[in-house]
Amino acid sequence: MATSPIDNTHDTPTPSIDPPLEPDDRTETIPAVSGRLGSAVNKISPVFAFGFLLAMGILIFEIFMRHVFNSPTLWAHETTTFLSAVGFVFGGLYCASKDKHIRVVILYDIAGPKLRKALDVGISIVCMIASGFFAWAAWLMVKRATMTPAGDIHFETTGSAFNAPYPGILKVFLLLTLIVLMVQFFWQAINYMRSAPITGSEQNE
Amino acid sequence: NAQEFTLKVQSSDAAGVPNFELEQEWAKRVGVMTGGRVEVEMLPVNSIVEHAETQDAIAAGILDGHITDTSYFSGKDPAFGLIANPVGAWSAPSEMLRFVQYGGGKELMNSLLNPRGLQFIGAVTPGLEAFVSSVPLDGVADLKGLKMRAPEGMVQQVFAAAGAAPVNIPQSEVFTSLDKKVIDAADATVFSTNQAMGLHDVAKHPVYPGFHSMPMLEVSINKTKWDSMPEDIQAILEMSVRDLAQDMDARLAMKDMEAVAKARSEGGVTIHNWSAEERAKFRQIATSQWEKVAARSDDAKRVYDTLVKYLTAQGLI
Amino acid sequence: MFDLQSLGIEYGTLAMFVMLLVFLITGMPLAFVTLLIALIFTLGWFGPMAVPLITSRVYSFVSSFVFVSVPMFVLMAAILDRSGVARDLFDAMRLFGGRLRGGVAVQTIFVAVILAAMSGIIGGEIVLLGLIALPQMLRQGYDKNLAIGVVCAGGSLGTMVPPSIVLIIYGLTANVSIGDLFTSAFVPGFMLAGFYVAYVLFRSYTGNNIAPPPQTEKIPHAEKVRLLKGLFLPILVVICVLGSIYGGIASVTEASAVGVAGVIASTIVRGEFSIAMLKGAAIQTLSTCGMIVWIGIGASALVGVFNLMGGIKFVSGLITGISDDPTTIILFMMLILFILGMFLDWVGIALLTMPIFVPIVKDLGFDPVWFGVLFAMNMQVSFLSPPFGPAAFYLKSVAPPDITLGDIFKALLPFICLQILAVGLLILFPGLAGG
Ligand code: NA
Ligand code: NA
Repeated sequence: MATSPIDNTHDTPTPSIDPPLEPDDRTETIPAVSGRLGSAVNKISPVFAFGFLLAMGILIFEIFMRHVFNSPTLWAHETTTFLSAVGFVFGGLYCASKDKHIRVVILYDIAGPKLRKALDVGISIVCMIASGFFAWAAWLMVKRATMTPAGDIHFETTGSAFNAPYPGILKVFLLLTLIVLMVQFFWQAINYMRSAPITGSEQNE
Repeated sequence: NAQEFTLKVQSSDAAGVPNFELEQEWAKRVGVMTGGRVEVEMLPVNSIVEHAETQDAIAAGILDGHITDTSYFSGKDPAFGLIANPVGAWSAPSEMLRFVQYGGGKELMNSLLNPRGLQFIGAVTPGLEAFVSSVPLDGVADLKGLKMRAPEGMVQQVFAAAGAAPVNIPQSEVFTSLDKKVIDAADATVFSTNQAMGLHDVAKHPVYPGFHSMPMLEVSINKTKWDSMPEDIQAILEMSVRDLAQDMDARLAMKDMEAVAKARSEGGVTIHNWSAEERAKFRQIATSQWEKVAARSDDAKRVYDTLVKYLTAQGLI
Repeated sequence: MFDLQSLGIEYGTLAMFVMLLVFLITGMPLAFVTLLIALIFTLGWFGPMAVPLITSRVYSFVSSFVFVSVPMFVLMAAILDRSGVARDLFDAMRLFGGRLRGGVAVQTIFVAVILAAMSGIIGGEIVLLGLIALPQMLRQGYDKNLAIGVVCAGGSLGTMVPPSIVLIIYGLTANVSIGDLFTSAFVPGFMLAGFYVAYVLFRSYTGNNIAPPPQTEKIPHAEKVRLLKGLFLPILVVICVLGSIYGGIASVTEASAVGVAGVIASTIVRGEFSIAMLKGAAIQTLSTCGMIVWIGIGASALVGVFNLMGGIKFVSGLITGISDDPTTIILFMMLILFILGMFLDWVGIALLTMPIFVPIVKDLGFDPVWFGVLFAMNMQVSFLSPPFGPAAFYLKSVAPPDITLGDIFKALLPFICLQILAVGLLILFPGLAGG
């Protein structure tokens, strides 16, 4: 097993040891195959990344309120779970756009340029189809999570005393993410098809 | 006779707890009573979908049915939370079961579930839950400022109204949080199961019999499947659920009493029993919260009206 | 539509494993391999109407509170990686461990055990050690394989050393005391960590170029004081996190947030804090969690589909037929766990096997607490075993580019053997887990 030549997991320098500080533009590159959609995903990613920091802040606030004032919030745990969930879902799309998902590449390494190109195109198409099915299934789920049987709009809530509409929102967000994911794989397939077959050696890490 | 129906039924109980064993025995009895025409496969909690997702899965035809706490669906409509656990309404399983069977509960459940693609067959309950606490609690006044875990649904709201400070941690962190005194108390489940899970090792002042919660577990299946069943099978299913209700009540109560006797003889645990007065006080706080839930949706209002009408007629409030 | 149901559950299971392997080697992203197999079997076995099962599981998986601690640990790692805290810490550790061959690797295992006491789940700690300890050990001249093994195996201890979500989930499923499980896991957890330490020392003293030569030159006093300062902030953060758990201030998941706050405070004290640094760390967290969580999502979806296909009945049927000898049945269960561990992550394995194994173990008259510890020990193996070894994936997500998945799995082999040895000892001597 080896790292894929197109595995961009580490297209960036090794975590620095010396000097300790470096500007953080190392996560900003998006492979060309992801196109403009990939850039857009990259552009909005800080919003979701900061969600994790916000979740951290909320948990600290909750500890503080509970331990110092003996008045725990009713919303902290639900909200941090929601923020993390949104981050996890978006993180999957983000890794797809950046082609950072982990792969096993035995076949890839022994394949010639033509087969590699075929694999790239094939994998993108298969992932696109799968994402399409999931998006459709998510739509069925969203219908039940956003509407009452009578047809009124009602976002599914957590059912707690705080009762935030997080489940409804998260399901809608999952649907949207799966749609974008499908489109992202579509463009990757197109762009792999357009590109010239990769000649192995210079791409190997 | 040839097998006509297979039902994959997901429980809200884990595979190793006594409740699940009772449900598996029920599944077997259904097979015997229908002469093999119905085969019920009981699946433990989260095995196909997560506990709060079974309603959707049944409607989609992925699962055929569930035996689950109706309050898990409070987020879909507050009506589910109110009918599942109207905190303060029932002091014994038989009171709740009478309401469901004869007081309009069954009709309410079907009016909520039928449009969502499910058919309600009947209700069962594990009984009054015991309260887990690491500090002595002898009445409503002791709840003031009590850091306690409560799940979604009405229970949390009622405790907040009673002056406690509910913390919304998940069940998986109840034990460690009680152990390290992050929380003082927790709404868990019946006494015997709490005991088996070791909750009384870290929280030595349980309140038993419980005063706060008696969840309704609904037995429901996919409506299309139900409608396709001949009348005799429908009747057998209904009867078998009525029997399961009494079986669950009796056997879990026996287990509770056994666990209580054991806890008393072993010592180390102080079991608190609230006076009738304190129970009444808590009940009053709880019932004041019903109206608030009722205001949240039309269906919740219908549940509220039916419930109050029944309780009044029975002289229970 | 192709009808997979006609395969029956036996050949269906086999087909599932074969397809997993085939798709795996095409180079398809792992997260999508499991999701795709789940989709194929859902469509082929039940038809399109059952596909929402997969999205439902995706939704449930991401919205589980216990996973909140994963981004917290990754955040800690990403911030530490961008500060000088880690380098100073390891330089100071060299001061203590420098005279012992392999001393810093041994200390890394100690750090891993401390991290394990701070968290109940794995993922975050491996990322943390992978970002912090691995480059430092490589910098100091440790053998790559040994360093990788220490990071992955040590980082997996989180579910073996209490608190442990694996044991909690087991306790809730098996209806046994979680306190008893924690107490019983203590000795086996430390035994496993002890095996790792012994192995590191053995390799360091018998092999060439495994560990840097012991320090012989005298370090001036002023230099010692400067180095020791490097220990101060990390120890303070550890005290805050462990103190908040064991002092009853925070739940285990909340405590991971305390760790992040502590690490941020450390960078402020050191004058290394900046918004750009925080942003970079947060984005790395997004990316690493995206990888880690989606792999879990796929496995969870696959187990849901397999259970619906009748997987629970199938696996329990396999066991009941196998033998009348209780020990043989236990060994067979271990084999099943080992095979499943090659393909699934622990959440999936727990969902599939606990409902089957627990009642059988109780019927056979074994102590369910002992079996819970045994289960947790088995999950240690599953974290490392190829082709689907979450620990390897977590490390891969942050390791330097020249370290391939193949390198990682190769490095993990001896550690897997140590874990299997621990499983064996637990079966031979149930007393180790108080059984
Ligand atoms: Na731990
Ligand atoms: Na594995």
